[in-house]
Amino acid sequence: MSSPDSAILISALNKHYGTYHALINVDLAVAHGQKVVICGPSGSGKSTLIRCINQLEQHDGGTIRVLGTAIDADTDDINRVRQDVGMVFQHFNLFPHMTILENCILAPMLVRKVSRSDAEATAMQYLEKVHIGDQASKYPGQLSGGQQQRAAIARSLSMQPRIMLFDEPTSALDPEMVSEVLEVMVSLAAEGMTMVCVTHEMGFARRVADRVVFMDRGEIVEDGSPESFFDNPRNERTAKFLSQVLKH
Amino acid sequence: MSELNLSLPLAPTVARVASRRVIKRLLSVLLSAACLSMLIWVAWLCFEWAFVNATVSSDARQAECVAGGGACWSVIVNRWRLIFFGLYPFEEHWRSVAACSIIVVTVILSCVPALWTATRLGILWLVGFTGFYILMRGGLFGLSLIREEQWGGLSLTLFIFSASVLIGMPLAIVLALLRDTKLPWISKSTGLIIDTIRSLPLLSILFAFAVVLPFMLPDMMVGEKLYRVIVAYALYFAAYQAEIIRGGLQGVPKGQDEAAKAMGMSYRHRMAYVLLPQAFRTSLPATINQFVVAFMETSLVVVVGFFDLLASGNAAYRTAEWTFAFVEVYAFIAAIYFIFSFGLSQYGAYLERRMGLGKR
Amino acid sequence: MKSWSSRRARYALLQALYVASLATIILTFILLARIKLAQQGINSGFDFLWKSTGWEMTFALVPTSPSDPYWWVLLMGFLNTLLVGVLGLTLATALGIVIGTARISSNTALRIIGTVYVQLVRNVPLLVQVFFWYALITRLPSPKNAINIGGVFLSNRGLYVPRLNVEAWATLASAAIFAAMLLVCLWLSVFARAGWLHAKRQPLMAGSVASGLAIMTMLFVMGHQTGTPFVDEPVFRGLNFRGGSHIQPEFFTIVLAIAIFGGAYVGEIVRGGFLAVSPGQIEAARSLGLKTWHVFSRIQFPLAMRAMLPMLTNQYIWLIKATTLGIVVGFADLFMVIATAITQSGQTLEMLGILMGAFLLINITIATVSNRINSAIALKGHQARG
Repeated sequence: MSSPDSAILISALNKHYGTYHALINVDLAVAHGQKVVICGPSGSGKSTLIRCINQLEQHDGGTIRVLGTAIDADTDDINRVRQDVGMVFQHFNLFPHMTILENCILAPMLVRKVSRSDAEATAMQYLEKVHIGDQASKYPGQLSGGQQQRAAIARSLSMQPRIMLFDEPTSALDPEMVSEVLEVMVSLAAEGMTMVCVTHEMGFARRVADRVVFMDRGEIVEDGSPESFFDNPRNERTAKFLSQVLKH
Repeated sequence: MSELNLSLPLAPTVARVASRRVIKRLLSVLLSAACLSMLIWVAWLCFEWAFVNATVSSDARQAECVAGGGACWSVIVNRWRLIFFGLYPFEEHWRSVAACSIIVVTVILSCVPALWTATRLGILWLVGFTGFYILMRGGLFGLSLIREEQWGGLSLTLFIFSASVLIGMPLAIVLALLRDTKLPWISKSTGLIIDTIRSLPLLSILFAFAVVLPFMLPDMMVGEKLYRVIVAYALYFAAYQAEIIRGGLQGVPKGQDEAAKAMGMSYRHRMAYVLLPQAFRTSLPATINQFVVAFMETSLVVVVGFFDLLASGNAAYRTAEWTFAFVEVYAFIAAIYFIFSFGLSQYGAYLERRMGLGKR
Repeated sequence: MKSWSSRRARYALLQALYVASLATIILTFILLARIKLAQQGINSGFDFLWKSTGWEMTFALVPTSPSDPYWWVLLMGFLNTLLVGVLGLTLATALGIVIGTARISSNTALRIIGTVYVQLVRNVPLLVQVFFWYALITRLPSPKNAINIGGVFLSNRGLYVPRLNVEAWATLASAAIFAAMLLVCLWLSVFARAGWLHAKRQPLMAGSVASGLAIMTMLFVMGHQTGTPFVDEPVFRGLNFRGGSHIQPEFFTIVLAIAIFGGAYVGEIVRGGFLAVSPGQIEAARSLGLKTWHVFSRIQFPLAMRAMLPMLTNQYIWLIKATTLGIVVGFADLFMVIATAITQSGQTLEMLGILMGAFLLINITIATVSNRINSAIALKGHQARG
């Protein structure tokens, strides 16, 4: 059994795409309430790792336990786990044929069987929290990128998840919209949400993360506190990456 | 480097280009004028034939019409009831008119975006179709019973069209989903069925169902010929429409499905609320086009012995006194088909333009 | 180390059930049909193919008689379908190119003509058009008053055209040479895109066309029936025409209808193909100083062709299937032969099988050829979506 204070427990995780070895023996434990930032060069496997946690990608070796449930390709009630694990995507993936409010109440009503009025009340509360309560009746296409990403965060929160996964949430945004999304993520972190973020925003990592995990070529190279990660990286690959990211 | 070839006579070239342009321009103006005058001339000839020199009196026959020198609409005046109603009893023709109007209203209502949800469209078509059927067949509410063998003309055409679409659409969705699943055997065997139906001529499928089936199956499994034909149409429509829906599904970005999955939505919910609505939206122009094709293809029932719009048109001029007036009859029938399919396809083109604008 | 989990087992079971139930339905159907047919005294099997039919075909490339066996009549029907298909598609394509070009021309009058044509033809069922053309052709003047268009006579008995007085073997051989010539040109222009062939393909093409034409001329001269004029022109004698080739009204009708109907659809595809070429490509070509013709032949046409080919393939397959409408005017294509054979012999299952097989063969051939061309000319690598 997993230790009760582990929200996510990954051990010896392996994943192949054909002959390409995308994840190599990855071990990662995330405690309840912990905020973990995963970074690394592109193609390092960080997105694959985070997408294995809710089984958008299926691993082919090792074990993953999320909130005490072991999951793999054969898990029948994967959707029970997914209810409790929110995910925010790089390209928002809001449903373009529904208003923002409809986006937020769809899954609570269908999956959690919440009544429409309750779902709307919860959704509005989260939309207000991300400062787009006044946009609730608009369609995603009518919103700016930053607004869309905040709506996507509100949609995930409306399911009242216990863990939030962020997959490069600011990479597709125009530079001036990055901070409004990061602000929302910071305030979410302050409320004690368990968070796993794949991001290149090193400022965010320094400010919010309890741990920073650095991945390269499918392996976890470095795993430690932000202070040790930024100020004295132990691995030379980490140092090289940091020098490239922080140079600009 | 500075020795650029400045000896080239620049000015004459400019003049030559200019004069060539003038000639080109002149030629194109001449071509335009020629085409335009030909167009106007042909249009005038048609107009003159159809209206100016036309004969419309119900008493006129070949002699009077030839003397008029234009179209002989007398044939339509005399035979329009046959063309529209076929063998439907004369005093009950109003029922056929009402039934056809219901289907036309149903089709028009289906074009209203506010009704574009599966339930609303489903209810609309079920209500429209039931209304049509009760009016046509009777045997209820004091209407006399008129069996399907006596139906004909436009109402038969509309009956076959709406019934086959009503069965074909749900079937198409099922086929598309079965072909789109990740389970290889289900996907492949469904694909084989769809591809086989699509590779066969519609006429041969109609022939097999209408004519051949009674020789082949035990009598209790055969059923009425009209319904066998409708099943054949529905299958053919579904095979084509399934591929359109599948194309739409493949056009939905992968992230949409992932976002729905990430919130724990089941396959059924993801399809019904996230993927299919978007697939239908993107494939709407193709779907409307398929409806137009299906409507026009109902004319093939004439081959297996039904008295639809086209067959009753054939009958209208194939009597001794009207045999000369085939152009008028075909023009009239063509106009009826044209109104339906041109209207629908223009609407499809309008939607496509609007969607194209929306993307930007 | 992966176990045979319940989920996997369920999926496997589901698939097995689905395939098994499909197979059961089809097998039951065939079994029931065989039982019922046996009751009517019809033995299943393909032995009947060698029996004589007892009925005559109304149209065949080679004269047939009622004593011909079924397989021969079926083959003739298949050839008729192919003949109508090839002729109809060729004419439809030619017409479609004209219409499509008119639809995108800068000349307003031409555009209007093209649009009216397309809308008129596309929104009236093909079957109505077939009936109309047949009614029109059978009401043309009798042979005595036939309409003469440059030696071609049009009457209610169909079309009479001049022909060459050559032996059948020479005609067949030159047709084969002609097909080979087309294939060589197609291969050179589509597939020979690398190496030394690429550089020399234009002279090679010209050479193959020239030698093909030369061989054909030679064949005609060698095959010339001695004692007859080289060109046999139809001449009106008595009640009908003598000499020349006779094209029956049924055949004429279905080819005409397919050509006119297909022309509208092909025209729309051609138009769509040219509209799919982004204006930026043309501007880029112009700014490089290419002449109008070179912009068209090197940039516009090759790019438009790539956009058109998949849609053209579907349209061709659709039109081939539509040739079966010839049955309403009594043209003896494969479908009509099979329909007659079913009612005459009762060999229902076998005939339906042959019908399916024949159309699958035609469709697969068209699709394969088009796919090969498509992958040969496909733009390499990933393209930025415009």
